[in-house]
Amino acid sequence: MNPVVGVAAFAAVTLATAVIGFYGLRISRTTGDFYVASRTVRPWWNASAIGGEYLSAASFLGVAGLILLSGTDALWYPVGYTAGYLMLLLFVAAPLRRSGAYTIPDFTEARLESRAVRRVTSLVVVMVGWLYIVPQLHGAALAIRITTGLPAWVGQVAVIAVVCVTVMAGGMRSITFVQAFQYWLKLTALAVPLLFLLLVLAGTGTPAVAEAPVNPTGLPPAGPYQNISLLVALLFGTLGLPHVLVRFYTNPDGQSARRTTLIVLGLLSVFYLFPTAYGLIGRVFAPGAAGAGQADALVLLLPGRMIGGLAGDLLSALVVAGAFAAFLSTTSGLVVSLAGVISQDILGGSVRGFRLAALFSAVVPLGIAATTDSTALAGSVGLVFAFTASTICPVLLLGIWWRGLTDAGAIAGMLTGALACGGSMLAGAVLGAAGTPSWLAQPAAWTVPAAFAVMVLVSRATRDRVPRSITRLMTRLHTPERPLVTER
Amino acid sequence: MTRVRVTAPRRVATGAGSGRGRAAAEARKAAEETDAGQVFVRALIRSQLRLGIVVAAGFLLIMLGFALLLGLVPGLAELRIAGLPFDWVLLGAGIYPVIGLSAWLYVRTAARNEARYRDLAGER
Repeated sequence: MNPVVGVAAFAAVTLATAVIGFYGLRISRTTGDFYVASRTVRPWWNASAIGGEYLSAASFLGVAGLILLSGTDALWYPVGYTAGYLMLLLFVAAPLRRSGAYTIPDFTEARLESRAVRRVTSLVVVMVGWLYIVPQLHGAALAIRITTGLPAWVGQVAVIAVVCVTVMAGGMRSITFVQAFQYWLKLTALAVPLLFLLLVLAGTGTPAVAEAPVNPTGLPPAGPYQNISLLVALLFGTLGLPHVLVRFYTNPDGQSARRTTLIVLGLLSVFYLFPTAYGLIGRVFAPGAAGAGQADALVLLLPGRMIGGLAGDLLSALVVAGAFAAFLSTTSGLVVSLAGVISQDILGGSVRGFRLAALFSAVVPLGIAATTDSTALAGSVGLVFAFTASTICPVLLLGIWWRGLTDAGAIAGMLTGALACGGSMLAGAVLGAAGTPSWLAQPAAWTVPAAFAVMVLVSRATRDRVPRSITRLMTRLHTPERPLVTER
Repeated sequence: MTRVRVTAPRRVATGAGSGRGRAAAEARKAAEETDAGQVFVRALIRSQLRLGIVVAAGFLLIMLGFALLLGLVPGLAELRIAGLPFDWVLLGAGIYPVIGLSAWLYVRTAARNEARYRDLAGER
């Protein structure tokens, strides 16, 4: 691929991000602006922003790559990524917004009246955020290497630098506009080249679409246990993602939080048709791409391979731009929510503290990404979902729907989930893809029930620790607000 | 775009204001503090939870149905819809309308539950 294409595409996305970020800078002045855009973001903007933030390297590159590798089994990934939002809508969206908390630790502290719970939640949130940023940086490294031939670290450093500048300059306000723009950029970047691919295929006389008979990885196909465990992780992991949750506070009330989620579901459903199509086309017409250990680059390579010439270069540039939009948007969303958590807990919640915390939350995963190797992007993000599903998801679900949850139960459950799931992830990393038994490779099916069980049992045993304000809290979480929105 | 100026992060949203805002705050206080208010609140929570579980279970059953259909009916993978394999169409595109429909049904019914609560609790 022409190296100029990759560099130009990255520069263009960065420039657009910076321009929108600067435009946002002029209207974000107060601490409230920095945290949640003062809750005046409209549902369509907010939904686009949520979509922009959520569709990460795993969705943009990883899904197609995994479909190329493992065929129909990989189709469960986009289904799970989308259905996770359904669970979020059903059980979390409106009550969480009505809780009035800004971050997940704010919520757990208010719900359980305990500083200790807050600290444990903050710790878990920061771990989730870091684990989730690392695959984005691996994606950036892959994209830079494939498209420009530059060393991989250039991509990682560039992404972190752009994110730091944007977040530290503009805060959440500009982030909302940047994210909304990036959703539509990502969609365009997949849709337009796909249109040309289909035209080319139609022009050359499409051979009958057939499943590629080879299994390029040599790994056995996933059994029912792995598919179920993956779905548990994706369905319940989404509702614990810190960068997704922080977005719900920007809705004016619970009802609009639900409406926003409904729009997000539509946006995601449309988006995931495209990586699926790339995966299918790749499986039939370019099965060789998987052999070289770069299946995740399928989306980036396909337009250049099948179209070629100037048109191929232009379409490649568009796809590369979309990929960088994916790395930038997810990373900046995570950095904003991590910085919110870290600055409130350690640095006292000032704007200066927020900026320092942003820098800190971006640089640590850069160090991790630089020293680790990339595996399949969709797979490593799937493991992060398993981790949130085993830690934050139980405390949110039980906290919202069960009066009996206590601080001791919440802490015990979160620690159980974190140790069980984190331990499985470590064991999987040590044993390698071929040597890991499936119950360690996809731990969610047992770690999520374990975390729930411990949380419930310990809460029952410490029944006298149920907060006194529980009646008031549950009323606030579940009763509709008056139309306060009209009051300015 | 109108916006509210906040000078420091608030842990808890306040419902202060004039007119309707104050009436709402009073209604909420009544819901929190009186036994009758709590009966309605508990009923609302129960109905919202039941709704969520029913929709989730329905969706999961449909998904399970899709998976069983593909796993147990052998000839389906060879079936073609507009040149595309049937299993790809079903999992790659067919599930999304089901998700959207479930979500839409839920949002509508949840809003209805809340409207009923408002009527019962006497909030206007």
